[in-house]
Amino acid sequence: MKKSYLYTIVFMFIISALFTLVLASANTALEERFNENALLAEEAALLEVFGLSTEGSQADLEARFAASIEAAQRGETEYFRLLEGGQVEAIALPFVGSGLWGTIRGWLAVDVESPEEAADGLSIRGIVFTEQNETPGLGGRIEEQWFKEQFRGLVYQPGQSLDYGPNLGAEIDAITGATQTSNAILRIINRVLAEELLEYEEVK
Amino acid sequence: MAKEKLPALAKRSLFDENQVLRQILGICSALAVTNLMTNSLVMGLGVTFATALSTFTLSLMRNLIPQRVRMLVQTLVIAAYVILVDLALRAFVPEISKALGPYVGLIITNCIVMGRAEAYAQKNPPIPALLDGLFSGLGYTLVILAVAFIRELLGFGTVFNYRVMPESFEPWTIMIMPPAAFFIIGSMIWFLNARKLRREAEKGGK
Repeated sequence: MKKSYLYTIVFMFIISALFTLVLASANTALEERFNENALLAEEAALLEVFGLSTEGSQADLEARFAASIEAAQRGETEYFRLLEGGQVEAIALPFVGSGLWGTIRGWLAVDVESPEEAADGLSIRGIVFTEQNETPGLGGRIEEQWFKEQFRGLVYQPGQSLDYGPNLGAEIDAITGATQTSNAILRIINRVLAEELLEYEEVK
Repeated sequence: MAKEKLPALAKRSLFDENQVLRQILGICSALAVTNLMTNSLVMGLGVTFATALSTFTLSLMRNLIPQRVRMLVQTLVIAAYVILVDLALRAFVPEISKALGPYVGLIITNCIVMGRAEAYAQKNPPIPALLDGLFSGLGYTLVILAVAFIRELLGFGTVFNYRVMPESFEPWTIMIMPPAAFFIIGSMIWFLNARKLRREAEKGGK
């Protein structure tokens, strides 16, 4: 089956064009759904970090999100405010850092308080992870509720840093068998608290 | 190759020449995605879909493909179907797509798909090629589901995310790590080979 060079080249051109066309149309057809999924995942993450319910249908989530959360901008960074009666109740700021195997991204929410309350320290409202590639079943357990919930309500003074074991009047547990990931999370949170948090006007 | 009847073809692809246990192909993904049964099922179906349709397509074009670029064409066709699987997962089951991570894209380099294209689709008509791909993929799915069953049961105490072990059950961390799949697949291969040798010995003795 000896075929000429020209035949080979033309054949490859046609076949490449054909399959590219099919894939490009599939991608375009589904693009709206991808964006919708990404948006919904982000809204669910923000609801969770602010301690709001993520139960219910897609429409419920969207309504709940629209009712109390608004986007804000600091420089290049987009962050979110939780509003209650026109007052900013809390802010959620994005964080990114390196875990054991790859990048860890997520949101950290902090309560916004009056100056008198703020004198006692800032309280952490919640933490969620939206992207991580840690070992499933070990470091991947940072996405489990018990791990994330430990950070809720911790009161923190500027200059302090979080650690595992008893501190800041609470007890935070690391994940057994996932020391590297556990430490990476602390490193990221402490960096955000020390360097980035106070840049936001709501908590200055 | 002589024309094969469907039951014979199914038996050959599913058991006698099982891609994972007998041909030792597709091991990389079998180690990686078998810690949860749901992930394994989706991965298995993805591989089955890609193998069946790519062997079918390649078999349709088998007389048109110039020999010297046949691997290029095979990879192109396989990649196209795998990307379709990936797009569908991302659009309709984003949670599972996230859990499988890069492994869906890596179906492209799964030796089973390429192996069937090269070994079978080249020389056989489209319908047998489709069935061959289908059953080879299903053979892979069966094995990874069996491995995932053991790993999920002992590693998480669940089956398809339903808790079956009592609360007091202490999960075996090793089962969640890739080496566990290595041990389990290794033991399966050992068992099958031992059985085959014993049978051959019995036949020889008579």
